[in-house]
Amino acid sequence: MAANFWTSTHYKQLLEPEEVDVVQQLDRDRGITLEDFKLVKMHMSNYITKLAQFVKVRQRVVATAITYMRRVYVSKCLTEYDPRLVAPTCLYLAAKAEESTVQARLLVFYIKKMYPDDTRYRFEIKDILEMEMKVLEALNYYLVVFHPYRSLTQFHEDAGMMDLMQFTWGIVNDTYKMDLILIHPPHLIALACIYIASVSKDKDTIAWFEELRVDMNVVKNISMEILDFYDSMRNDIEERIGVALSKLPPRA
Amino acid sequence: MDKYEKLEKVGEGTYGKVYKAKEKGTGQLVALKKTRLEMDEEGVPPTALREVSLLQMLSQSLYVVRLLCVEHVDKKNATTGVAKPLLYLVFEYLDTDLKKFIDSHRKGPNPRPLPPTQVQSFLFQLLKGVSHCHSHGVLHRDLKPQNLLVDKDKGILKIADLGLGRSFTVPLKSYTHEIVTLWYRAPEVLLGSTHYSTAVDIWSVGCIFAEMVRRQALFPGDSEFQQLLHIFRLLGTPNEEQWPGVTSLRDWHVYPRWEAQNLARAVPSLGSAGVDLLSNMLKYDPAERISAKAALDHPYFDDLDKSQF
Repeated sequence: MAANFWTSTHYKQLLEPEEVDVVQQLDRDRGITLEDFKLVKMHMSNYITKLAQFVKVRQRVVATAITYMRRVYVSKCLTEYDPRLVAPTCLYLAAKAEESTVQARLLVFYIKKMYPDDTRYRFEIKDILEMEMKVLEALNYYLVVFHPYRSLTQFHEDAGMMDLMQFTWGIVNDTYKMDLILIHPPHLIALACIYIASVSKDKDTIAWFEELRVDMNVVKNISMEILDFYDSMRNDIEERIGVALSKLPPRA
Repeated sequence: MDKYEKLEKVGEGTYGKVYKAKEKGTGQLVALKKTRLEMDEEGVPPTALREVSLLQMLSQSLYVVRLLCVEHVDKKNATTGVAKPLLYLVFEYLDTDLKKFIDSHRKGPNPRPLPPTQVQSFLFQLLKGVSHCHSHGVLHRDLKPQNLLVDKDKGILKIADLGLGRSFTVPLKSYTHEIVTLWYRAPEVLLGSTHYSTAVDIWSVGCIFAEMVRRQALFPGDSEFQQLLHIFRLLGTPNEEQWPGVTSLRDWHVYPRWEAQNLARAVPSLGSAGVDLLSNMLKYDPAERISAKAALDHPYFDDLDKSQF
């Protein structure tokens, strides 16, 4: 919704990893570990993405929604803020903030369609509207979010690798399964994704990167984090997510 | 909300009532903008969300009204016991707005022109604020004297009411079903262009500039069609030569072909530098219209003491 990252609230809101990787006391009391915490957030990111496909909103809205959800859990705990409700509410709010409003009743309808037999995912319109206020307060009404997508086309054109655009785009989508967007400026995340794409497709981009005047150490560190994340996606991931979700309180 | 004492209703915004209030603890005056949340419908209105998030970003400028905080309350109806959720945006309070300020110079006990230095200073502050919005990629889209708050004693002007939400359509009616004024609307908007740019705000600034000098609106149309005719009668009916693409805009029709009048005659008390700046703000082709940043450097402001801003 706005154009200048460096003067934006997003820039001022960037966090240190140590601030993001905090499991709140109430969650720890339920046996939720940092690993569980990350898995739940990843699962909810996927959930938002799937739900968004039903209501047909742009990728930017999905990315904004996931960012809201991740920001909420910087200060709030899973125990008190049921992620199964926070996730669709963040999509609802992001759609409004990005000027492509989705009706709450549509979300309610599609959530039911996605989880027909699971009562823990059964919500009414009023639940979403009540949670909307709580999410807004948790976000302290900071709604402007910048994303790596914006700089992708320009970077690819400039580096003469438009053929890799789709590939990089997919990697950027994957970064929302992690907390990178809360920690790093979006253009550096974009560059890290381009770096991974070019290395894995054997494109020589060293000269191009050298001319950019960005801190390549930061770009490489972000790249390493993404690669580590891919590594952690082993076969038993669904099982581990299941275990993590089972530690959430049943709904009141 | 108990910490505020409502003093009086001072207006109706795009989506709710505005009150003057006092913070009990400090005695500080604030403006409370009330938004009703329709919990059976769609929650927080997108316009309110947009205003809050934009103000969070823009409020650090001296020339944009400061959002102090946001308060969420569930007001219980005493008889029915039903909770009614409300959202209050708490703003700094300024005692008047530019519309009332101009009115007080036109009518009332002591009608008199605005001092030229006052016009110059207000226009400079307005351009500062607009330039700040534009540098953050934000278009105001509804600049008008009612949306410019004024502190009479300190001579300060600030932009308010960033609630107009949509990128493509500017609503014709506000929530109170009052007709939204067309007087400051740029010709490309009136002609149905779907691509807005920062130039729409500059047109409005030009109209406001002229109004401060004249003490009455430059183009007081009461329908979109009338609004265009007002503009064409003064500035001449635009053609493809002055404004490439104008005849292919959605709402273009064949209009009477007026010749451009001398703009200086519409603002008789304004000097030549001022008229030049005004004519650059009222260029038909949005691409040719002066930017807020460039306007700040215009010779019209040469004798203004800019160190005070």
